[in-house]
Amino acid sequence: MLTRNLLLVLTSVVFLSSCSTTSDDIVEKADSLFKNITGQPDVVEVEDRTTTDEGDTNSSTVESSTEENIVVADSSSYTSQNSGEQSNSSTESTSISSSSDSSSSSSESSSSSSSESSSSSSSESSSSSSSGSTSTVNKVTIIEKSPLDKLKDTDISFTLYFTYDGFDIDEDSTKEIIKHANYMRDNPRARLRLEGHADERGTREYNLALGENRALSVQEVLGLYDLASRIDVVSYGEEKPISNIHDESGWKQNRRVEFIYE
Amino acid sequence: MKKIIIFCLACYSSLASAVLEVTILKQAENAFPIVIAPFDVVGNAEQDGSIIAKIMRDNFNRSGRFSASSGNRVFLSEDEINFKAWQSNNTEAIVFGKVEKISNKRFNVWVYLYDTFSMKLLYSDKFAVHNSGIRRISHFLSDRIYDALLGEKGSFDTRLAYVTVVNLSDGRREYSLEISDSDAQNPQAILKSNDPILSPAWSPDQRKIAYVSFRNARSEVFIQYPFERRKTRKLPYFDGIASAPSWHPNGESILLTLSKGGNKDIYSYDLNTEELTRITKDPGIDTEASYSSDGKRIVFTSNRSGQVQVYIKDLKNNKVNRATFEGRYNAKAVFSPNGKLLAMVHRVGKDYRIALLDIKTKDLTVITDNSLDESPYFSPNGGMLIFATNKKDRGVLSVVSIIGGQAFELASKVGEVREPNWSHYLK
Repeated sequence: MLTRNLLLVLTSVVFLSSCSTTSDDIVEKADSLFKNITGQPDVVEVEDRTTTDEGDTNSSTVESSTEENIVVADSSSYTSQNSGEQSNSSTESTSISSSSDSSSSSSESSSSSSSESSSSSSSESSSSSSSGSTSTVNKVTIIEKSPLDKLKDTDISFTLYFTYDGFDIDEDSTKEIIKHANYMRDNPRARLRLEGHADERGTREYNLALGENRALSVQEVLGLYDLASRIDVVSYGEEKPISNIHDESGWKQNRRVEFIYE
Repeated sequence: MKKIIIFCLACYSSLASAVLEVTILKQAENAFPIVIAPFDVVGNAEQDGSIIAKIMRDNFNRSGRFSASSGNRVFLSEDEINFKAWQSNNTEAIVFGKVEKISNKRFNVWVYLYDTFSMKLLYSDKFAVHNSGIRRISHFLSDRIYDALLGEKGSFDTRLAYVTVVNLSDGRREYSLEISDSDAQNPQAILKSNDPILSPAWSPDQRKIAYVSFRNARSEVFIQYPFERRKTRKLPYFDGIASAPSWHPNGESILLTLSKGGNKDIYSYDLNTEELTRITKDPGIDTEASYSSDGKRIVFTSNRSGQVQVYIKDLKNNKVNRATFEGRYNAKAVFSPNGKLLAMVHRVGKDYRIALLDIKTKDLTVITDNSLDESPYFSPNGGMLIFATNKKDRGVLSVVSIIGGQAFELASKVGEVREPNWSHYLK
């Protein structure tokens, strides 16, 4: 819950600040806030992504390209608590090595970094954080030849998977969601229905709430693109399982958000 | 002797429904042996005479407090009871009676309850009963006899509500909202749908059932009037999910979980004024709220601590206190009718079981050993607990007695049963 809220705070804060001037002290503030709330070190990845608004390659004009900083807060606390139940599905597994070292160095570096231009400082903090961890991309610049082509990889029937009782969006999932954001942006009439689901464990009503939180998490990421009015969020809780197997192999397929274009 | 006429409430339902199979899983220890003899039959009422005694015996045998047998004979009067013989047999009490058919659709029913040790008449009564009220009078008499023997009310003259799910051959599912007598007999389907139905809740006056339906491709709360022809009330559209309906004891408002602006909190919806009052305000998930029977407290599930736990809100001082501290997952709690206990879903390792919490002492007792228990609900006398569980990959209902540990199961031959709810006493 905290992580989800924080993700929202971080994403919106950084998004706004990328348009204005100094972001690093806000990032720093949010970063320390994150540490305070969770009570244990978590990895906060700060990365700078450039996505092209237009379909053409390497758009040189500033107007056509939008720069967005996306902060991905990985909830390592949740997954570590539920080790063994953690889903291994491809969309869920993160490449972030969540050691406490990298986290502390991340926060230190962001606090020590002087106020420069927003994008460079955030990428700097990201790079210094990655020095503590093993595999982190410093600056990911996604140059999409065509968002439509890109979406074909995932296709219309896309499903995002989640950890037990979790509704956080990890780095890989964010990339997937951005593909859909681009698709929606290029197809102004497209309407998206996000259907949240849960596995059978726990109570039905709680799972109904949890399923909605999962769909809302996705909507929050898409919300950066001002698409909220075209997105419908619903939850089926544990009522519509994909798999009826009563163990993790089935459960991990059922903790999901389905993207349904209308 | 008083004379009343009991009419059976006719249910306006033409939907097909199947009787659940009742299986006693565990017989209670230290149950009082009693005899409920077949009723004497005057006139052409043979079938109904044996039915009344049988329904009563089954009731007592399911209660966990008694073991009832027929005594293998009909008693016509007190003079025929050999008290000494029954005493040596350790039989505590003897019930006998008479059914007299006085018209095509009317019967007179007499009932007598004797204590075998004191040899005294503990209870007797006479009723005029309509044809359709035979089951009802059997449950009503069971409650009276239970009360006369134990000094506390039974929970027999009550109803259950539950949801059955059948997988259809075309891959769809058929959900059926059903009501039945407390012994799972006389089932009536009051709603069928290919979309999920959740959380049925009897209104305190027994006339309405609130439930969650996905018929409009999202969770919404409806109120069904099972005894009135085709009457359904849909609560207004609220932003986001609407779910977890639960009645105020006065029947005039309903607790709901609403996700206005995405934040799931508890609200009270007044059915008369249609006003919405916010009960909880927290960025986490608050859901599964229900009142104590005096209406002064609300218990609900929240993940505000980072874990899923149970909280109690005192409506007098508006203070919210966490009720559960044992385990990392406690949810869907309900108050016992006397307000002293909570029954809830409690996670033990990887299993979800039913636990009872003493609110004052904070003692938590896990009372089941299943892996996927859900939706506990007390009988109105607090003596029994019904819940949903999984047996061999199939949803069934289980009922346990709080005293004696009696357990029985309600299963569907053709599908799953889930989401049980127990009505208050019928009026």
